[in-house]
Amino acid sequence: MSLTRRDFIKSSAVAAAANAAGMAVPGVSEALAQQKNDGIRWDKGTCRFCGTGCGVLIGTKDGRVVATQGDPEAPVNRGLNCIKGYFLSKIMYGKDRLTQPLLRMKNGQYDKNGEFTPISWDQAYDIMADKCKAALKAGGPRNIAMYGSGQWTIWEGYAAAKLWKAGFRSNNLDPNARHCMASAVTGFMRTFGIDEPMGCYDDMEHADAFALWGSNMAEMHPILWSRITDRRLNAKHVKIHVLSTFSHRSCELADNELIFKPQSDLAILNYIANYIIQNGAVNQEFVKNHVKFKKGVTDIGYGLRPNHPLEQAAGNNGYPGPDGKPKGDPNKATDISFEEFKAFVAEYTLDKAHEISGVPKENLEALAKIYADPKTKVMSLWTMGFNQHTRGTWVNNMIYNVHLLVGKISEPGNGPFSLTGQPSACGTAREVGTFAHRLPADMMVANPKHREIAEKVWKLPAGTIPDWIGLHAVAQSRALKDGKLGFFWSTTTNNMQAGPNINGEIYPGWRNPAVFVVHSDVYPTVSALAADLILPSAMWTEKEGAYGNAERRTQFWRQQVKPQGQARSDLLQYAEFAKRFKMEEVWPAELLDKAPEYKGKTLYDMLYANGEVNKFPVSEQMKGFENEEGKALGFYLQKGLFEEYAAFGRGHGHDLAAFDVYHKARGLRWPVVDNKETLWRFREGYDPYVKAGEKVRFYGHPDGKAVIFALPYQPAAEQPDNDYDLWLCTGRVLEHWHTGSMTRRVPELYKAMPDAWIYMHPEDAKKRGLQRGDTVKVQTRRGEISTRVETRGRNKPPLGLVFVPFFDEHRLVNKLTLDATCPISKETDFKKCACKVVKA
Amino acid sequence: MNISSILVNAGPQQISVVEAGLATLAGVEVHAVSDEGRMIVTIESDGDRETTQTYEAIQQLPGVMSLAMVYHHFEPDPEKES
Repeated sequence: MSLTRRDFIKSSAVAAAANAAGMAVPGVSEALAQQKNDGIRWDKGTCRFCGTGCGVLIGTKDGRVVATQGDPEAPVNRGLNCIKGYFLSKIMYGKDRLTQPLLRMKNGQYDKNGEFTPISWDQAYDIMADKCKAALKAGGPRNIAMYGSGQWTIWEGYAAAKLWKAGFRSNNLDPNARHCMASAVTGFMRTFGIDEPMGCYDDMEHADAFALWGSNMAEMHPILWSRITDRRLNAKHVKIHVLSTFSHRSCELADNELIFKPQSDLAILNYIANYIIQNGAVNQEFVKNHVKFKKGVTDIGYGLRPNHPLEQAAGNNGYPGPDGKPKGDPNKATDISFEEFKAFVAEYTLDKAHEISGVPKENLEALAKIYADPKTKVMSLWTMGFNQHTRGTWVNNMIYNVHLLVGKISEPGNGPFSLTGQPSACGTAREVGTFAHRLPADMMVANPKHREIAEKVWKLPAGTIPDWIGLHAVAQSRALKDGKLGFFWSTTTNNMQAGPNINGEIYPGWRNPAVFVVHSDVYPTVSALAADLILPSAMWTEKEGAYGNAERRTQFWRQQVKPQGQARSDLLQYAEFAKRFKMEEVWPAELLDKAPEYKGKTLYDMLYANGEVNKFPVSEQMKGFENEEGKALGFYLQKGLFEEYAAFGRGHGHDLAAFDVYHKARGLRWPVVDNKETLWRFREGYDPYVKAGEKVRFYGHPDGKAVIFALPYQPAAEQPDNDYDLWLCTGRVLEHWHTGSMTRRVPELYKAMPDAWIYMHPEDAKKRGLQRGDTVKVQTRRGEISTRVETRGRNKPPLGLVFVPFFDEHRLVNKLTLDATCPISKETDFKKCACKVVKA
Repeated sequence: MNISSILVNAGPQQISVVEAGLATLAGVEVHAVSDEGRMIVTIESDGDRETTQTYEAIQQLPGVMSLAMVYHHFEPDPEKES
């Protein structure tokens, strides 16, 4: 019996692998057929972790998710899983799931220094509403803020954005994607005038060369890496170039490994542009018809607090100067000619690039050649190495410079590709526009026309949406510390672990008596434990959801199981919270006079029961699946929110298909026009927005041209010196996803990688009298942590640099990091600050 | 009883090297090998820890270029229970 069972399971396992690989293994196909009869309901879903967006089949039995497997029909991963996705079925079942609201109380009352005490949802909403109303009364809409994430489902992010921007009339809403993708966004907006990659994952099967710029895909995007590995193995001419500040697993497959000094990617990119020009490799026709040139302002500072010497010295950081007027604008650029651009990059010779970067000349030249050779199709890929960079916007612009000069863009196999780290960084944070400066479909709060469009869709009187840019992530932390926020709601993220400079800014901010901090979460993370009120959230397949991945693919899943305990989806939390506010309590009388139909109504009525969002009945929900929101509110909330949201983008280059289509498809890449998805944007024949005869049109800009920017190399905000003599780089590992709040609760993953050690060069260890396994203190100007030394692991830093992952809540490496940001994108540089390592 | 299947990518010239390496690992079985160097491999183990350790060991084998997980099944071992 046991032998049969074991053989049966093994056959199933082999059959699944054979199916994924497209290989035939005799004698196992019967196993798949039998699999259907073991009482498990299988339904399609999307992985909860990174931005790859793998399709998974979710197996449910007796009200519990018991199994998952890579979805063989999913175009992204074709049946494969990475090790995190492999154990997905376990992420919801950690022993310490939050199952009831918890409020800090003393003597039966709320007290900022009280102990967490269980309360009912009604009590939780009551105190939240009280505190929010008090904050609005004391300081108006600027006195409240919300912090969300790229893990919000599309409708959660949309509902939150509407609650804040239309309801409370506050643009103080920002996602953690600010720490993750903001530089990619500003890069796209400056170069193309429209966000998100022009190409898609299909490029991986067409490229002749790959260049990784600050991305360890082997560990952080393993499924996409397996597609690149396949390409490399199946086409012998294909070469892989890996650029990084330390050697890692992706380097194992590299034909050309380039380990460069931190920040010198700027110099390398200008060298490649110069190489292309000097060697006559510019695609003249492409550049003439589709490209224009600009020179960006320099001297833009480092996004630090205004009293920092680097900011006082900066002339174009946009901060208020002595006269109260902004000092320049870091985003400003002026038109130049090709000749001027050519002269600008001329100083970035091979010698100079070598000198700044430390990379051997032959390696630099080999890299430049793949871009310059007209016969080589190149895919460039990057993640946090580019984005988390005090010149993150620039470095994104500069990789586009290279592709645009040679016209290698928007066609199969040729493309710059910005990877994402969160499952819906694109779908929610970016497309819904949950940033402090954005509205849906790439629109901006500072643009009166855009506000007018949003006010029309949302049925608001003119002037409802505020024209001021709200507080971004780092600015929120600083405002909390400075007592400038009275009510703060953080959700679907763990900023007390993931945000920079925890000691100096974030922790003192959250514990500031001036503010009431609400945190919605699924586990007692360090953020939850630093809040005043914890709300237990439903997670992943405990609710109906939708994510948008890095290749513009929108994907849906149905609710598979009930939330645990009293947990509720974030979506339901916003809807119920909105019911606690009378319109008269949040809008001034003169605004309400312009929309008398809202008098006497609640925020909920205005936002979600507005005749649009509540127009689809629960009978349209899929039979046989739960929908908690439908049960609580009496209509199909997810569908109503999605259809209202989709109105923003349809006909404007951001077209989404009809709601029901996504419940059937394995995701579709927008723009979806006439039910047809778009694989390559901006090119005739692929993109319905490019007319016959136009060939290529970068329609994000009115003139249809993309911008090549002249931008220089500049040093990092903080560099090693005599006191702090090493570069500190933080990042991720294969086994854990970001702060580990889910993956550390999966026994297999926790045991595989329990602690974050410091990776350092054996010589650097020896110089400090250290051996592998020794306990050390890692210190910066902002704090210290204890950990142990790893000199032989998967990451091999060069002399002078150390790497510490940030998944480990017992060693918060972000106590050490500097809150310097790109002054344009406001994204933190988690990759570069100065530290020292001493024996503990 | 933990049973997993994975896809291992080896270079076409590295197939025999990887096969030899896999043969040294307990609970590991090779079910199919393609000409391009893709292998279907199962891992059998008693506990959580062994599966991830074996996975890590395969990753470190000479000649292994990448690997991907496909299927994982866990249930109490009927023999041990009785």
